[in-house]
Amino acid sequence: MSELTRDIEPTPDIALIARWQRGDQRAATELVGRHAQALARFAVTQGIRDGVDELVQDTFVRAFHSLESFRADSSLRTWLFTILKRLVLDRQRSEQRQRSTVELDEEHAVQDFNALDGMVADETLLRVRQAVARLSPLQREVFTLRVTEGMPYTEIARVVGSTEGACRVHYHNAMRAVKEYLSDD
Amino acid sequence: MTECPDDVLRDLLPEYALEALGTAASARVAAHLAECAACRAELALLGQVHGTLTRGVPRVDVAAVVAALPRPMPRPVAIPAARRWVMRPVWQYAAAAGLLLAAGSGVAWQRAAGGHAARLADSTLVQSAGRVQAVQATQAARAESGISFGGGLSDLSVDELQSLLGQMDTLRALPSSDPASMTPVIAMNEGGKTL
Ligand SMILES: [Zn+2]
Repeated sequence: MSELTRDIEPTPDIALIARWQRGDQRAATELVGRHAQALARFAVTQGIRDGVDELVQDTFVRAFHSLESFRADSSLRTWLFTILKRLVLDRQRSEQRQRSTVELDEEHAVQDFNALDGMVADETLLRVRQAVARLSPLQREVFTLRVTEGMPYTEIARVVGSTEGACRVHYHNAMRAVKEYLSDD
Repeated sequence: MTECPDDVLRDLLPEYALEALGTAASARVAAHLAECAACRAELALLGQVHGTLTRGVPRVDVAAVVAALPRPMPRPVAIPAARRWVMRPVWQYAAAAGLLLAAGSGVAWQRAAGGHAARLADSTLVQSAGRVQAVQATQAARAESGISFGGGLSDLSVDELQSLLGQMDTLRALPSSDPASMTPVIAMNEGGKTL
């Protein structure tokens, strides 16, 4: 594994957490700065349009409230993504209830994802977005975490609640499906 | 679009695209890419997917997030062993002196038992402190707990005092009915474990 990781490691999250617990606010700033954009990206790829920053903030607030119980056997990033994923699901469910519709989760997610099309002007990028939107929610989660964050399968498995092997299969199936959709032109 | 048969290498492409690989792995992927059109195409696609998915993502206001965070709970700080004696609350020196007096000059153990030293004893010391009035009990407890020293308090150097305090640290503290007096004990406990 060491061969695959970066050559120069930054201060580990766990060390920054310890510094924050001793009252060092700069450590909190570094931790938030390190993970906030990745969380925002994930929220957007999960179909969140409004209040992305609010969701990211809630994620950190929840995480920091229970940092005492955080164990280093899982990475902070994994933990943050898991919290965010739960918050995204909660919000989607509550929005769904407000709409009083009987949409299936999957259809709903695709619809939300497609709603971002207006932001993509380039034709090729639009096609790519449509290809990703056609993936199943689980395939899309795995695919986006791998492509946008370079997250290893072990970590993705924890975030999506699956196994490393299953996530690898989901990723490659997703890649194949995206390629096929794009070659159908 | 044909797929590359090298699954292991294909699995490295997302990290390669994000420049998240180490030097060796990165060089390996680069060498493969020079010969494999399928992987070059997949790498280009990864770039497009990344560009598409990350477009329109709002910039998170880090300062605002940090401002919303809870304050850290005060936690005991691990103090390096070499500096411990400097940081000790005064009562621990008093306790050490109490032990010295009790053992060195034959003063009844009861005096120390009335003070904080009793809380720093192991079970043997506790029992002794609770029921025994005489010096014999002190000596027996001392022998079992392994604390030893010679001479009176005035004969002790800083190093010897520190050594004695080190030995006291190996003894378990007793629960106290006085929460306030427990605070320094918790704060000094190695590794931050609550007693
Ligand atoms: Zn290849």
